[in-house]
Amino acid sequence: MTLLLWTLAVPLATALLGVLPLRRGLKEANLVAGLAVTFALSIATAGRFLAGSTPAAFEEALRVDGLSALVLVLSAFVGLMSGAYSVGYLRRNEARGLVSPWRRREFDALVPLYVFAMLLVAVSNNLGILWIAVEVTTLLSVFLVAFHNRDTSLEAAWKFLVLGSLGLAFALLGTVLLFASGRGLLAEGMEGLNWTHLMAQAGRLHPFTLKLAVVFALVGYGTKAGLAPMHTWKPDAYREAPSPAGVLMAVGMLNGALYCLLRIHLIAKAALGPGFSGGLLLALGLLSVAVATPFILIQWNLKRLLAYSSIEHVGIMAVGLGLGAEAATFGALLHMTYHTLAKPLSFFSAGTLAQLHSSSDFDEIGSGTLGRTPVASVLFLLAAVMLTGSPPFGLFFSEMTILRAGFAGPHLGAIAFFLVCLVLLFCGFFYQAGRLVLGVPTSARSRTPDPERFDVGAATTLLAATLAVVSAFYLPQELLDLIHAAVGVVENGR
Amino acid sequence: MTSQDLVILFAAGMLVTAYLMVGQKALFTTIRLYAVQSVLLGAVAIVMGVADHRPHLLAGAVLTIALKGVLIPWFLMRVIDRIGIHREIEPFLNVPSSLLICLGLTVVGYRVSTGLAEGARGPAHHVIGASLSMLLMGLFLMVTRRKAVTQILALLTVENAVFLVALGATSGMPLVVELGISFDVIVAVLVLGILVHRIVDRFESMDVSRLSKLKG
Repeated sequence: MTLLLWTLAVPLATALLGVLPLRRGLKEANLVAGLAVTFALSIATAGRFLAGSTPAAFEEALRVDGLSALVLVLSAFVGLMSGAYSVGYLRRNEARGLVSPWRRREFDALVPLYVFAMLLVAVSNNLGILWIAVEVTTLLSVFLVAFHNRDTSLEAAWKFLVLGSLGLAFALLGTVLLFASGRGLLAEGMEGLNWTHLMAQAGRLHPFTLKLAVVFALVGYGTKAGLAPMHTWKPDAYREAPSPAGVLMAVGMLNGALYCLLRIHLIAKAALGPGFSGGLLLALGLLSVAVATPFILIQWNLKRLLAYSSIEHVGIMAVGLGLGAEAATFGALLHMTYHTLAKPLSFFSAGTLAQLHSSSDFDEIGSGTLGRTPVASVLFLLAAVMLTGSPPFGLFFSEMTILRAGFAGPHLGAIAFFLVCLVLLFCGFFYQAGRLVLGVPTSARSRTPDPERFDVGAATTLLAATLAVVSAFYLPQELLDLIHAAVGVVENGR
Repeated sequence: MTSQDLVILFAAGMLVTAYLMVGQKALFTTIRLYAVQSVLLGAVAIVMGVADHRPHLLAGAVLTIALKGVLIPWFLMRVIDRIGIHREIEPFLNVPSSLLICLGLTVVGYRVSTGLAEGARGPAHHVIGASLSMLLMGLFLMVTRRKAVTQILALLTVENAVFLVALGATSGMPLVVELGISFDVIVAVLVLGILVHRIVDRFESMDVSRLSKLKG
């Protein structure tokens, strides 16, 4: 088997082992070790790509180019972080009697399967396989959202499944129409749906059919990315999913869906020019940023706050990609990278806060958590500083890159509006985080939280914090090379 | 009758089942209509496969009839039996006005289909027109009905419509992809069924308009 296939096989094997009724220690070791090996193999695959070869399998149905390599490494990283944090998270929840052994086994299989599907999305060159992989992530997320089996979890899972399936039906229609737009030009078998094959024929695709296909596919995969106005599942799902699963959805699914959007956008760009799908991405991105603004200001729940922040960030990335300038594309992909590095910290610290206070609603937690749970509070504040794009952290630089490229381009009005929204979002997020962490303690209402202990969960949160801080000042050269290679794919279409 | 006439007949039949679903409140009948619709989809694929000598369409057709014509309806009927709810309550919009709106949607579907490469002329025009109309009607069903099972059926109608577009506009997706998609659809229905069970256990109802705690 080639390296690429091993990268996909290891998480599958980890999931199979996760179902077995092993001792807890063994299960934890299996989960973390499996995901760590997966991460190492992804890095090795990306390394092969950087060394000049193009890893591929099954008649190029799976193929690793610059964009794939970047998303592959980022997805595997998030998988590992999520797996490591879940050890401490589940131990705490088991101690409080919230997780039965049966649920535990479900979780141990779901997380590696999810990682497998995310990696499959990243390396799919075939648009049919791509759709199937995205559908698999959707179905797995449903179980993760419904994990705690509360009334609200079922509501969130139902909404997510119906909206997600509808989005995917649209994406499937988009894929079918894309195939139809090349009728007579494309090969008959599997390779007819290969992205590279479609790109080679892009100039001769039927324009109207292609436009229809692009609209459906962008709306469909945009639903998965959580772009407004298809974002409504996101706050519910993030609130109900356990924190380690939340980060898989908030980063893994988001990156994967953005990857799909980019593949479709590139075909449209090659066939119809950059204006059509770029304009759509720009509009959806601006709308997402605008929609997130008021909801962050009136938010009543910690994890929903993170969901709206995630809607903001996917909006920023879509704006960067929609602008079409090379610098903006670089900014968007840099934003994706820094977002991937910063998001685990926010989910882990928020998850720990919610666990210690037995709820993620602001009313239940009570303001002024700094005095009661200092470590988790400080870490959450740090995450807030990063997610709002404050200097000196990475998201500041990527947002600045996008803004600068935007002001150099023709969409001045849109970018000015974008900037206003970003400033408001900055203030809103800090207002909420500050109120929660630094506010005057309302001692009468708030319960005494569990005492903070230095356990595995805390250790992984600290690790996430260290990685996020270090990455602001130092990115490995190889990672930068991958980002540049991905920008090359977007600019040159190969 | 030529094979093209047969294809158009079956595609039109699918559109008729979609209309009947909109006009129907008994859940069992709606499920049977879905089964008929899926069998007709399989029939379209068989006729096209035989006429154009494309064996992989036949394989896809057998799969469609077995899974969507038999297995999924059987599963959904079992779900309804177990939870003991047999009728859709008054939909958000009454039946006559629903049917009128669907008539409008059919016109829109046909209009859009004329712009497609294959839609401008010939029998494919009718197939694509019918399937786009069905797609819009599925979306319409989804937003106007309250029962969880009806929403699943609306989703499945949209899915069937997409497959009919695939047949009309591309003469079928590659077989491997079609297999993967069919498998995913099955799993999605199973997951939906499991979720309906859990919802009914919890809320003692499958009225999805009760799922409205999460806001803001």
